[in-house]
Amino acid sequence: MLEIKNIDAFYGDAQALWDVSLIVKEGEIVTLLGANGAGKSTTLRTISGLLKPKKGSISLSGVRLDRIEPYQIILHGLSHVPEGRRLFPNMTVWENLSVGAYIPPAWKDRSGAIEEMMEIFPTLRERKDQLAGTLSGGEQQMCAIARAMISRPRIILLDEPSLGLAPVIVERIFEVIERINHKGVTVLLVEQNAHIALQIAHRGYVIETGHVVMEGEANRLNQDEYIKQAYLGL
Amino acid sequence: MNLQLIVEQMLNGMVLGSMYALVASGLTLIWGTMKMLNFAHGELYMIGGYVLYFVLLLFGVHPFWGVLLAVLIAFALGVLMERTILHPLLDKPGWDVSPIVVTLGVSIFLQNFALKVWGERFKNVPYFIEGTMDLSGFRIAYQRILILIVAATVMVGFWLYVKRSRFGMALRATAQDREAATILGIDSHRIYLMTFGISSALAALAATMLAPLFLVNPWMGIPLLLKAFIVVVLGGLGSFGGAILGGFLLGCIESLAIVFLSSEWKDVAAFLVLIGFLVFKPAGFFGTKEW
Repeated sequence: MLEIKNIDAFYGDAQALWDVSLIVKEGEIVTLLGANGAGKSTTLRTISGLLKPKKGSISLSGVRLDRIEPYQIILHGLSHVPEGRRLFPNMTVWENLSVGAYIPPAWKDRSGAIEEMMEIFPTLRERKDQLAGTLSGGEQQMCAIARAMISRPRIILLDEPSLGLAPVIVERIFEVIERINHKGVTVLLVEQNAHIALQIAHRGYVIETGHVVMEGEANRLNQDEYIKQAYLGL
Repeated sequence: MNLQLIVEQMLNGMVLGSMYALVASGLTLIWGTMKMLNFAHGELYMIGGYVLYFVLLLFGVHPFWGVLLAVLIAFALGVLMERTILHPLLDKPGWDVSPIVVTLGVSIFLQNFALKVWGERFKNVPYFIEGTMDLSGFRIAYQRILILIVAATVMVGFWLYVKRSRFGMALRATAQDREAATILGIDSHRIYLMTFGISSALAALAATMLAPLFLVNPWMGIPLLLKAFIVVVLGGLGSFGGAILGGFLLGCIESLAIVFLSSEWKDVAAFLVLIGFLVFKPAGFFGTKEW
């Protein structure tokens, strides 16, 4: 479904990704593991067009995402929950979700879609008129995931949904991610917390200093000695 | 000095203040979304005045058509300005200063263009409605009542538009986090174009409403822009509510200065308040707020 082939990406003159390739098949949860600064977020930013790759190609069901404008990417069914949630802090939860329905096909049906998300995240219903900037970290993450889901994407990119959250909340969020996946949404999940990511993922990639160094089935990565040592702290 | 004079002057202050608010909300809108100051804002105001003058002179139609055309032309000029001179500077280093330089350039160009082409003579625009209303002794010209009504309508309409409409939400989203907005499908360049258009249209609208009170001339935008900057400082740069509150406040301060001192003192009073705010409350009433 999503195919990234040999991309190089740069921040100014500094190269951040070297020849990165990865594939996400329809219906999968694929996780991209790596330490801080390894290039995980950069990979997601390149997929959603915020960074243009210097080399290589990114295609989603045959559409070359690297050849269209960044704001058009969501129209092809790809949604991105960025690092740090990036909610609109001075807008209410309801307004944030409405902006999630900006693209014309979603706008018509936005109340239905918002309602559905509030079923999944009941706290968002309680907080719907509260400014997003005043939410707790967990609520913000839920709001960010909900906002990305409003446009009914086929694939969602999640950038460190567990970051800075209490373990209980992390568990709830990962349950929701699985639930979303069961509903037929493909997931590409970036995580530093390899332990929890490998629990729900089907397959995984490991990225180090901008290079993909390992890939495989989640249960195989879970057993791998190197992964155990470097990422699972066992 | 009597009560009647004070009340009448306060009303006049509110009338003028409502127009300061319109001009300032255009400035604050651009600041809120693009984090830049438009120094050509006053000249878009000036163009609005001239369009009205020429429509009335050449076609002799109802002033409404002049106002409408002025607003539309200013909108188009704003869009053109964004596309031609600001768009190329976006995302380039030096964004703190580059918009000031280019918009100042446009400002100088437009002033001299007006001077060269339309001449230095001040142009007179008649009142849209003649006559004065007498409210148990307090007199206020219909033109001024019209200004207040137009200002209130436009501000409420604009506020609702930004608050509720799909475009308004996209505009606020872009102002608060451009990248997050892009991911959600919002074309920020289109938002910026519209922002400039709307901002310029607001300035031109204010100019057409004030044209009968002041005269149309190549430099008419300068004092208005200065006043709008004061308003924006009082209200908090980037805050729409602040622009409205600041506008009315400044209008009233000026009128009170006229009543209690003399009309020469009104600018002194305005700038004293500005200095006071800069010293004691530099963030203004509402702080630097995003949309």
